[in-house]
Amino acid sequence: MRITEHPILDFERGPEITIYFEGRALRAYEGETIAAALHAAGIKVLSYSHRLGRPRGFFCAVGNCASCLVEVDGEANVRACITPVRDGMRISRQRGKGDLRVGT
Amino acid sequence: MADTASVVIIGGGIIGCSIAYNLAERGLRDVVLVERQFLAAGSTGRSGAGVRQQWGTEMNCRLARASIKIFEQLEEMLDYPRSIEFKQEGYLILAFTPAEARQFEANVRLQRSLGVPVTLMDARGAKEIVPHLVVDRVVAATFCPEDGHINPFLATDAYARAARRRGVDIRLWTEVTGILVNNGRVKGVHTNRGFIHCPVVVNAAGPYSQLVAAMAGVDIPVYSERHQILVTEPVQPMQGPMVISFHHGFYCQQTPHGSFIMGVGDPHEPKDFDVGHSWQFLEQVCARVRELLPGLLKLHLVRQWSGLYNITPDAQPILGGVPGLEGYWMAVGFSGHGFMLAPITGKIMAQLILGEQPEIDVSMLGLDRFERGELIREPSVV
Repeated sequence: MRITEHPILDFERGPEITIYFEGRALRAYEGETIAAALHAAGIKVLSYSHRLGRPRGFFCAVGNCASCLVEVDGEANVRACITPVRDGMRISRQRGKGDLRVGT
Repeated sequence: MADTASVVIIGGGIIGCSIAYNLAERGLRDVVLVERQFLAAGSTGRSGAGVRQQWGTEMNCRLARASIKIFEQLEEMLDYPRSIEFKQEGYLILAFTPAEARQFEANVRLQRSLGVPVTLMDARGAKEIVPHLVVDRVVAATFCPEDGHINPFLATDAYARAARRRGVDIRLWTEVTGILVNNGRVKGVHTNRGFIHCPVVVNAAGPYSQLVAAMAGVDIPVYSERHQILVTEPVQPMQGPMVISFHHGFYCQQTPHGSFIMGVGDPHEPKDFDVGHSWQFLEQVCARVRELLPGLLKLHLVRQWSGLYNITPDAQPILGGVPGLEGYWMAVGFSGHGFMLAPITGKIMAQLILGEQPEIDVSMLGLDRFERGELIREPSVV
């Protein structure tokens, strides 16, 4: 679901692109964040807590907390809530703490 | 009812807690520890949490080695149910100039003579130990695998709990406002919560040691200086040892939790009691990371803070009493490495106070060394 009308905000949606979440192709629009595109596709679990493995999702929405850290194109600890989508981007849920050596 | 104690220890950092434990462990009763805020609120809880034996003076090496040997079995000794998070994966210390490399050779000779298992290596050896380190300009490096990281809060808590179980009365939010001295003898301590009669007072006030000393009429040649520090988000383990460059005034270590702790020394830091912090510090750290450990540039910062070094002219602590002032003792001026020296300091101070032979002769760390001008300056400080 995407908001199309809002009393004070305008949504200027960019061109449609394709992103991949855990291998599954999803429609997204340029200019929106990863979290927005995933939320619109009904994907609400973005990562898991380190100790108990509980699901974690969209929370602070401003890049401050660690709730929405995902792996993007092999890079760990990407904040889904403030990172814009890019055509062909491959996103996966992060399990445990990120590994900085992935993708290097 | 009169409030009395056998000994009042001023300061609830790890030094004060270690002294309290060691006094009580030796059977002394009615020990009171007073802390202005909460345990580890001063320099201990703000420290970089590193412990190392690679020092440049014999005394610092001996105190550090003895302390690490105690830290290695601290949980058992203090019957502490948690881990103090001792990550013993070494310190890698880098030299960037030939002069520094020569100093390191001398340090290693000294350290090895005192039993510290340290090795001197070239840039390639350093790269093997920390693969993501840029070693292009590294001239030499030293590595001691027994050095590492300990959680300062848990180590302090371990000492405090063990001290309490042995009868020590730890009073938080109790600030010392004066020390009563009469005819060259300590008589008691004034606090914001009343007066405590005591024949012995121990100054373990860390960055406020000069203020406490002045209350007893003692002038000590120390000043406090701000040092800033930061911590990042946690990631999977990727860096075993602490990496230090004295040349850059930079250190960086990954904690067992996975976060990185980093700091940069700055000669322009305020020399007072300011524990604020600055954005310029973040730029300085980023510049050093870009130069030495660029693989860490993608880490997100979680928090920055600062703490105070209590610095002496030779960067070695002042341990002992003061001639002509009976009942006044101090363990102060640790110059940025008090946390790691706390276990043996507590033991030695307790032995001195109780009139026993101290495990290590620390008479050369007395206050009178400054009058005699017998200073051996510690070269290996950040």
